[in-house]
Amino acid sequence: MGDTLTKVKITTAFEGKPNARALKTYVDNGGYAGLKKAFTMQPGQIIDEVKAAGLRGRGGAGFPTGMKWSFVPKDDKGPKYIICNNDESEPGTFKDRYIVECNPHMILEGMIIAGFAIGANKGYIYTRYDFFEEIKWLETAIREAYDAGFLGDNILGTGFKFDIDHYAGAGAYICGEETGLLSSLEGKKGQPKLKPPFPAISGYLHRPTIVNNTETLAAVPWIINHGAAAHKTMGTEKSPGTKLFCLSGRVKRPGVYELPLGYPIEKLINEDAGGMLPGYTIKACIPGGSSAPILTAEELKGLTLDYEAITAKGSMLGSGAIMIIDDSMSMVELLKVTVDFYHHESCGQCTPCREGTGWLANIMTGIMAGEGKKEDLQRMFEISRNMEGKTICALSDAAAMPTKSIVTKFGAEIADFIERGKRA
Amino acid sequence: MSEHNHNTKSNDPAPAFTPALRKQIEGFLTRYETKRSAILPALHAIQDELGWIADEHVEILDKEFGLHRVQVREALTFYSAYRQKKPRQFNIQFCNNIVCCMLGANDVIGKIKGHIKKFEEKGKESPFSVEGVPCMCVCDGAPAMLVNKDRHLNVTKENIDSILEKYASLKSGV
Ligand SMILES: Cc1cc2nc3c(=O)[nH]c(=O)nc-3n(C[C@H](O)[C@H](O)[C@H](O)COP(=O)(O)O)c2cc1C
Ligand code: SF4
Ligand code: FES
Repeated sequence: MGDTLTKVKITTAFEGKPNARALKTYVDNGGYAGLKKAFTMQPGQIIDEVKAAGLRGRGGAGFPTGMKWSFVPKDDKGPKYIICNNDESEPGTFKDRYIVECNPHMILEGMIIAGFAIGANKGYIYTRYDFFEEIKWLETAIREAYDAGFLGDNILGTGFKFDIDHYAGAGAYICGEETGLLSSLEGKKGQPKLKPPFPAISGYLHRPTIVNNTETLAAVPWIINHGAAAHKTMGTEKSPGTKLFCLSGRVKRPGVYELPLGYPIEKLINEDAGGMLPGYTIKACIPGGSSAPILTAEELKGLTLDYEAITAKGSMLGSGAIMIIDDSMSMVELLKVTVDFYHHESCGQCTPCREGTGWLANIMTGIMAGEGKKEDLQRMFEISRNMEGKTICALSDAAAMPTKSIVTKFGAEIADFIERGKRA
Repeated sequence: MSEHNHNTKSNDPAPAFTPALRKQIEGFLTRYETKRSAILPALHAIQDELGWIADEHVEILDKEFGLHRVQVREALTFYSAYRQKKPRQFNIQFCNNIVCCMLGANDVIGKIKGHIKKFEEKGKESPFSVEGVPCMCVCDGAPAMLVNKDRHLNVTKENIDSILEKYASLKSGV
């Protein structure tokens, strides 16, 4: 068990430094040292180190990163790809954007190391298109890295070739899902593909492809530089390392907090973020992005921010988005916004998702219009249950889980709204 | 569902491709592993340069650049970023997802709509248009909006007027 209270800055190490994004700042402060060290290791050793470090995917699912890399066929000599999933669009999340703002070179370094480890020579960063300024910062960093010999045909004289290009999305949440992203990168509509085969076997253009979240890749240089053992001194046994938490809502200091996993959520809210704004109290909290089941204020007591603890409470750590819902927010409105979002973003391939999100949105429109019925709560619960585990990707579950939790935990408030709406 | 039909087509004449735009699109054709990957960047480039994407532009991509019209249309209609009609001078994308909504986004959107309506009542076209969009992933600065490509954070009922005024005073070339 590591330290769950002491703050160490890894992916936000350049926060607040003058000229934080410049290559020179990065290199002057130990940047690209992880890459140099990686070149002294065997690719297999790098994968083992990342495995031993216990790094878990920061895009939402928490899948062990080293294990994912080890799925790439080693004897396949054809093209392989590293994709940085910088599509950040899970409602409540704003950490990948922040990493780019702090220092984009960390992401590039992580990608090059990942490429060397799995034998890939090409990488793409896929960013949501409306991160206009962030995309420019990334493109500048890529140019700087080429000029300095960290990218290109013969990186640092090692003979290793790695190219990185940037690709902008076009406004579709589903392109954050890794196979939706790959479809989009191929110039198609962003529809997810049936798994297996997983991208590590057959991804971009049917070639072995690793898709990792920006934050995951940004943590890699530190791990290679300092070693797996150092990484495991932070966080919990099963959730080692640090994680970026995106705290939003009416707290005094909303923002991105890099904290060791296992950090107490109440300490984050009350001490780091300074507590709630005067006159507001916490009604609920959505701990992992809008796809995560909601927690009541009561359920936050004693809760720690690690994958296991939040799962034990029936929710998920997800992307690390922590939305504090205060007493000014109506749960009817919250549910309406949530189901409308998933309905709008469903790609429409799977019937349970396409129809289910549509039914949920219709019911909520009815409720908002004062035409709700008592049975609506039960109906929404049943519809949600039938949307789970049946579809090509997890968007359907991502719509069902919060819906079920909101109608269960705040059913009385919604029922009351329906009742009053009818009388009005 | 993501087949976004909100941008019904317009009858405005399609602006012609500039030489710079052509050159940019040509670059995309060989930049990626397959030509098809050039479709999204090409559509972004057209929209950036010309404001919107007309049927004629799709035809040019097909005939002159070899990007199949069916595949171009697939992308054009799937992704919400692409506009198929001429935009107003300042297009406002206002986030109305959870955090922005909780912090008053709908009131501000209402105010912007009121502003637009005032123009219409005078028989004029407002330089602004507004649409609600999903989370812009800057929720620590909620409520958030984009005016064309400029991001504005902590936009409230109190400060929206002065922001709109600033844009309205810029009101010359796009
Ligand atoms: C509907 C949906 C949306 C997703 N959106 C994102 C996203 O915006 N960014 C991201 O990194 N992962 C997102 N994911 C998770 C990716 O599919 C994938 O698991 C992740 O990029 C893998 O990287 P990691 O192992 O480093 O976390 C999404 C998944 C689903 C089902
Ligand atoms: S679950 Fe929904 S979003 Fe995912 S592939 Fe099916 S229809 Fe598309
Ligand atoms: S909810 Fe508006 S930016 Fe995230």
